[in-house]
Amino acid sequence: MTTDPNYPWQTVFDKLKTWARVNSPWAIHFNSGSCNGCDIEILATLTPRYDIERFGVKLQGSPRHADVLICTGPVTRQARERLLRTYEQMPEPKFVVAVGSCAISGGVFQGCYNVVGHIDEVLPVNAYIPGCPPRPEAIIDGVVKLLESIKGK
Amino acid sequence: MTTESLLQQAESLLATMSRGSTRPETNRLDVVIESSGLVPAVSALKNARWGYLTALTGLDLGVEAGVVEALYHFCSDAAVTTLRVRLPRIGGSVPSIYQLIPAVGFYERELAEMYGVTVTGMPDDSRLFLPDDWPVGVYPLLKDFDPQSAQPVKVPPPPRGSSTGERFIIPIGPQHPALKEPGHFEFTVDGEIVTAARMRLGYVHRGIEKAVEQRNWIQSLYLLERVCGICSHTHSVAYCLGVEQLAQVEVPPRAQAIRELIAGLERIHSHLLWLGVAAHEAGFDTLFMYSWRDRETVMDLLETVSGNRVNYSANILGGVKIDITAEFAEAIRRGIDYLEERSRHYLDIVTTDTMFLQRTRGIGAMTREQAEHFGVLGPLARASGILRDVRVEAPYGAYTRFPISAVTAQAGDLEARFVVRLKELFVTCNAIRTILDNLPPGELAVKVPRRIPAGETISRVEAPRGELFYFIRSTGGDKPDRVKVRTPSLCNWTSVLHQAIGCQLADVPLLLAGMDPCFSCNDR
Repeated sequence: MTTDPNYPWQTVFDKLKTWARVNSPWAIHFNSGSCNGCDIEILATLTPRYDIERFGVKLQGSPRHADVLICTGPVTRQARERLLRTYEQMPEPKFVVAVGSCAISGGVFQGCYNVVGHIDEVLPVNAYIPGCPPRPEAIIDGVVKLLESIKGK
Repeated sequence: MTTESLLQQAESLLATMSRGSTRPETNRLDVVIESSGLVPAVSALKNARWGYLTALTGLDLGVEAGVVEALYHFCSDAAVTTLRVRLPRIGGSVPSIYQLIPAVGFYERELAEMYGVTVTGMPDDSRLFLPDDWPVGVYPLLKDFDPQSAQPVKVPPPPRGSSTGERFIIPIGPQHPALKEPGHFEFTVDGEIVTAARMRLGYVHRGIEKAVEQRNWIQSLYLLERVCGICSHTHSVAYCLGVEQLAQVEVPPRAQAIRELIAGLERIHSHLLWLGVAAHEAGFDTLFMYSWRDRETVMDLLETVSGNRVNYSANILGGVKIDITAEFAEAIRRGIDYLEERSRHYLDIVTTDTMFLQRTRGIGAMTREQAEHFGVLGPLARASGILRDVRVEAPYGAYTRFPISAVTAQAGDLEARFVVRLKELFVTCNAIRTILDNLPPGELAVKVPRRIPAGETISRVEAPRGELFYFIRSTGGDKPDRVKVRTPSLCNWTSVLHQAIGCQLADVPLLLAGMDPCFSCNDR
């Protein structure tokens, strides 16, 4: 984010935007070839035991309303273009979180004929959450770390 | 009827079409037929109401043999009849049996795109699993498939604004708020009423069946466990049962009981998960949150026992690797008691809440005849009054020792599907208690050789969504020659897509959720 010293109000405005974003990031979830394990754990983080909504995180249906793209699974050939399109539809600034071993490295599906690769071969990734699948606590930790890194920007 | 008499009946029904039959296992009949004899053979079985078509396996016997086989597996209780059609490796052709058995539509499309077999008379021959940019004439499951030959080709964009201006098509997915997994649907609507439905799978197709052929028997276990993150244990049980049959290894009773115990816990977790998702589709988010809160109890139990919440990896070839100690047993008992009480509450809600009943009662009703016609499996079939449950029809593993009773309902509508699944929770809870009380002592595993003797086998296991079918072939090496996975969701799609026709568009999400679809199972 750039600030022009001639317009001090812009600094204030940028700070306000970052404050709002950090306190209520809206996320969209995209499964590009996952086995479901990670997806279910992401859903579990939204439900009462873990309740990630208390940090202001909301799972959103439309990419146009989302700040964070949560990706699970390796990228299959058929899903690749959809993943890119979903990412392109998100407004700037946008952040990508890769959840699970497959999203990070392709996992057990490395070398399968219909798998293009892992998420960061297709999209720039801001945070990686390892695990097969990661526990809900790990997902929360990853999201909090991402939010910390946004704060500094 | 006993398995033996069922097989004899099948043999006599198929006698005129048969070009040789064998009995590879005590519960299996293998009949070789010509491709011209396929339609008469299938009609003979269908007219005699001999079981149902459970799967269609393609099999490449290698470049030297020059033969591709199409295997049509029919099941009736524990008896399995396989119709084996031998085809030339290039340019083979079989007639479509879609007119007799509609559920075969997806299987035939899979056979065509994976093996290059021409299926004549298929109503829909579009791509099902392979990506749109896959080159024509490259078939991934043939043994001489070269991944380099599958470079992406340019695809023309789909035609826009078709001349048939009368129709209005609503596309849903692959990224859609109502679907947690990617699948693409096209619903043609007339006002609010659905007049046609199509679907495109393959967004989660990873090519696991091919990958298994490149991994050894033990590595394949961990790969197959990741076909599905919800019913991972069932997949590994099905695979282990098959491999153990081929290796002729007897699994210790304690290991079998522990497998059934974990399968029970998995069924509870899967059904509670489904209850939440289905309630969410109906707009009943309170029930969604409550059921997922309670589901954490069973997740804790699974974690206590296995160390992981999702892919428990409890199975090894020849047994299990985790034991149930007295402490664990006590924890499981406490958890089960709580869950049983909560399930009673949920059953009360889904059968009495007026608002909820308006979304479920009488919606998407499927009669027994329809259910049989479409070949549905699992809770969907049981909600329509068909007793179709592998645990009862063909008990495997510990189910002979700890039998369970199947839950059925008659109405066949969405409400019945809720009731069947919730009542299954009680049955499962009781089964788990019985196992804990009578856990056999002894070893947890026996040794399985690294190379599995040559042969073919079939293993059928009841997953939370219905019958899971594995066909496993070994050529005596340290890698499987072929593992075919047919998951219950793939069978059930045909019926749901037919049922959607004539429904309100607003009922479609709940109708789809009502079958408990699993795309990663479908696509593999």
